[in-house]
Amino acid sequence: MSEIKLNKVSRDYGLGNFGVRDVSLEIEEGEFMVLLGPSGCGKSTTLRMIAGLEETTDGQISISGRDVTRLAPRHRNVAVVFQSYALYPHMSVRENMRFGMKMRKTPADEQKRRIAQAASVLGLEPYLDRKPSALSGGQRQRVALGRAIVREPDVFLMDEPLSNLDAKLRGEMRQELVKLHRRVGKTTVFVTHDHVEAMTMGDRICIMRNGSIEQVGAPLEVYAKPRNTFVAQFLAAPAMNLIEARLSAEGEVVTLDAGPVAGPLPEREAALYRASVGQGLLFGLRAEDILTRPKPGAQAFEGIVTVLEALGPENLIVVEAGEQSVSVRADRHFLPRIGEKITLYADLAHMHLFDASSGDAIARET
Amino acid sequence: MGRRILSHIGLILAVTIVLFPILWVLRTSLVPAQDSYSSAILPSVTLDNYRALFAEKNFGRNYMNSLIVASLSVIVTMPLAAMTGYAFARFRTGGRFARFATLASQMLPPVALALPTFMLFRNVGLTNSLTGLTIVYAAINLPFLTWILMGFFEAIPEDLEGAAMTDGATRWGAFWRVVLPVAAPGIMAAAVLGFILSWNEFLFALILGGSNTATVPVALASLQTSNGVQISNVAAGVSLAILPLMVAAKFIQKYLVEGLSFGSVK
Repeated sequence: MSEIKLNKVSRDYGLGNFGVRDVSLEIEEGEFMVLLGPSGCGKSTTLRMIAGLEETTDGQISISGRDVTRLAPRHRNVAVVFQSYALYPHMSVRENMRFGMKMRKTPADEQKRRIAQAASVLGLEPYLDRKPSALSGGQRQRVALGRAIVREPDVFLMDEPLSNLDAKLRGEMRQELVKLHRRVGKTTVFVTHDHVEAMTMGDRICIMRNGSIEQVGAPLEVYAKPRNTFVAQFLAAPAMNLIEARLSAEGEVVTLDAGPVAGPLPEREAALYRASVGQGLLFGLRAEDILTRPKPGAQAFEGIVTVLEALGPENLIVVEAGEQSVSVRADRHFLPRIGEKITLYADLAHMHLFDASSGDAIARET
Repeated sequence: MGRRILSHIGLILAVTIVLFPILWVLRTSLVPAQDSYSSAILPSVTLDNYRALFAEKNFGRNYMNSLIVASLSVIVTMPLAAMTGYAFARFRTGGRFARFATLASQMLPPVALALPTFMLFRNVGLTNSLTGLTIVYAAINLPFLTWILMGFFEAIPEDLEGAAMTDGATRWGAFWRVVLPVAAPGIMAAAVLGFILSWNEFLFALILGGSNTATVPVALASLQTSNGVQISNVAAGVSLAILPLMVAAKFIQKYLVEGLSFGSVK
């Protein structure tokens, strides 16, 4: 019983400045919820409001069915892992972990047991008597986690905990955190601006912008069906290609005109998007849905290679097609020269359409 | 090799220039009064000057007065300055105005306050009393130390308190158990600075004090009599007056370096 409910929660800084505005979100018991968004989108503010470190000026927050909106942080039984780790520099690793239990008057032998257990899970046994300043970044990160775990809180709140680690360590910790979550099974809210972390770690992700929620859903579901152009572009690197487009209809045939990509839509898409004929649209296609080999239903177009990033397992290619620059994710054997004219195939079965003025997705139910 | 010798010669010269007056004062305090102005370095060594200072001039009393007043004023001020500085740093209490007023109080020439203070204190019977002097020094130190401590607190990441408060501490608990220990080097440095300030203070000590409550600076000044300056006694007095400052300097060096770098421990 440790679900979190946000009901029309706002953080008003006064003078019409909102850190977060009218956010409603339900996080289920045991769920790993990722808050994703660019800096300043209100994701950290939301997390801090759940923790009680930031005032909630409007709306209600409840944890485990208990209204905590006006409760002090210490009465909410949440544990926060900060980006800076916020380890107490004057205490040893052991004392850092013990602090919260001491505050809560956990019996001494229970404290010992939990510290020993957390230290063994996190591989911190050799460092228990060291000060944080004598630890590496990765070790500090583990101590911060350990400090949260030993508390046995209702809820874990993590504010970009991996962003101070180097790339390799970040990848490792990502997997460890997921394993840890599976093992502990506690409701977790995880704030990040990294879409890879969001995709790989979250049971669900909640994408935020300008203090509001844009979309909530399972990672692959959001990836497959972004509600608007912001979500479509934020949730991937390279971002989804967006090209101004129009549809025209002649009998059964619906034809797409999106700059370089022009041609009849496949049957299913034609039926789906027929209603949008004549509207100002944005045609969206992810980099991996632009193919280097022909495929039935894929529309051929030509482009001149301007950028080639050979990443090893795959190549990222940017081509100039007409006025448009288009990102393509190609396999590692496809290695065109810069300036070369190549033929690409837009897989229209995976296309997205958005309203040009609002950026909202044109509904497709698949 | 040659360059190292050269730079050492240069450094030794510089050190000599800085230390010479102090060493000469020490030398003057240790030679008989009739040799005070001679150019001989150490014609003979005696402790008579020190003895005279304590036996004839009541210097022991002055020394105790200074120690009491300087220590008490710091002890009274530090908790207040720490709490005020924390409130400024974290809650922006009083806004810009309170901060500015704190700093502005340091820009006022002390002599402008001396006379009103004297009148006030005379009315309530706080002249010629160590309590009165302690109150004045505490008042002088408070804005200065508040300002310094505010800087130290601002350098401490707020997340530390966030962590402590979600860990189960109250705001006060977070301040007491986490912020204060982390800021300890800065607090020590500030306390030493406050002590030195009070120890050296002359104007208020002169105006508010009497013969029983004179502090070291006042006592030293009184050695310039109508019969001339008793330089051998002055030298002995100055040597003793420097002593706690030397100890403090040693402290402050250690803590200031720590104090200035503790922000890097995250």
